[in-house]
Amino acid sequence: MTGFIILSTFIGLIIVSFAAIIQKKIADSIILFMGVGLGSVVLFYLFKAPDVALTEAVISAGISSLIFLMALKHLGEQK
Amino acid sequence: MNRRKISIKRELPTATLSGFVLSALLILTILNILLQNMPHKIETAGDLLLKLNTTEGVANAVTTVVVYFRGFDTLGEISVLFIASMGIGLMLRSNTKCNIKSESNFMLQTASKILFPVILLFGTYVMIYGHLSPGGGFQGGVIIASGVLLLLISDKAFEVPHSVIVALETFAGVSYVLIGLIGLLVLDTFLGNFLPHDISQMGMLLSGGIIPLIYIIVGIKVGSEMSMIVQNLIKRSDDV
Repeated sequence: MTGFIILSTFIGLIIVSFAAIIQKKIADSIILFMGVGLGSVVLFYLFKAPDVALTEAVISAGISSLIFLMALKHLGEQK
Repeated sequence: MNRRKISIKRELPTATLSGFVLSALLILTILNILLQNMPHKIETAGDLLLKLNTTEGVANAVTTVVVYFRGFDTLGEISVLFIASMGIGLMLRSNTKCNIKSESNFMLQTASKILFPVILLFGTYVMIYGHLSPGGGFQGGVIIASGVLLLLISDKAFEVPHSVIVALETFAGVSYVLIGLIGLLVLDTFLGNFLPHDISQMGMLLSGGIIPLIYIIVGIKVGSEMSMIVQNLIKRSDDV
């Protein structure tokens, strides 16, 4: 069962990463990047690294994406 | 069409590329020979550290490695974060305040007042129990900074005073180095564990000697740095 969850999370991660790359708007791809962070939290937890999972949850899915969004606001929508 | 192909071929630095490939192959061969002749100690480095973990009386093995065996690296990581925070502060150096024009939502204002103490408590818990359960200074500090971010978004007038951040950060940095220097004086190693750390106390809140102390210091420093980054990005505008 755990193997199935790991495998499906892996495949989902790859799909979400590709979707994040091919987005036209940067804001959309930042939000999908948050999804990549969420998937890797699940993976780290299933690989028995709760410390890394907690760090990933707090830093990647939480504050780093918000910093990206704020930096994007500062830069403005440049084409 | 044919002409274009020829010109692309001419532009390709074939000599440089083949040189790169050749040197990469050579390096790989040398590495392979070196690795085959190595003793098998490489595989057991992690196991050795885990065996040493019990000597420090800390329940969480990862914390022992991050704060004690690799304590100097952690000091470097904190400095990197400090430099990043300083760079953001320098780049957004104009003093024009607040480009948030609209009032935030009523629900956000109310919820942030309820949630902020809980987030602060959870961050402090993660920080203080870093040597017993997953978590620690970095995670706890960033959780506290995300609480500050919530307040910054909800309240237009809220601002962490710059002097408070400076005081906290200076205190944390200086005391980290001071603890290391005391270890150097007492035990002849930088960041030596000079406080009592008995194995029988393993799993208690007061155990592990200086390791929980250092993690709390790391938490204070990371929390103040991340709050400063977030506040600079939200409050200041670089145009004008």
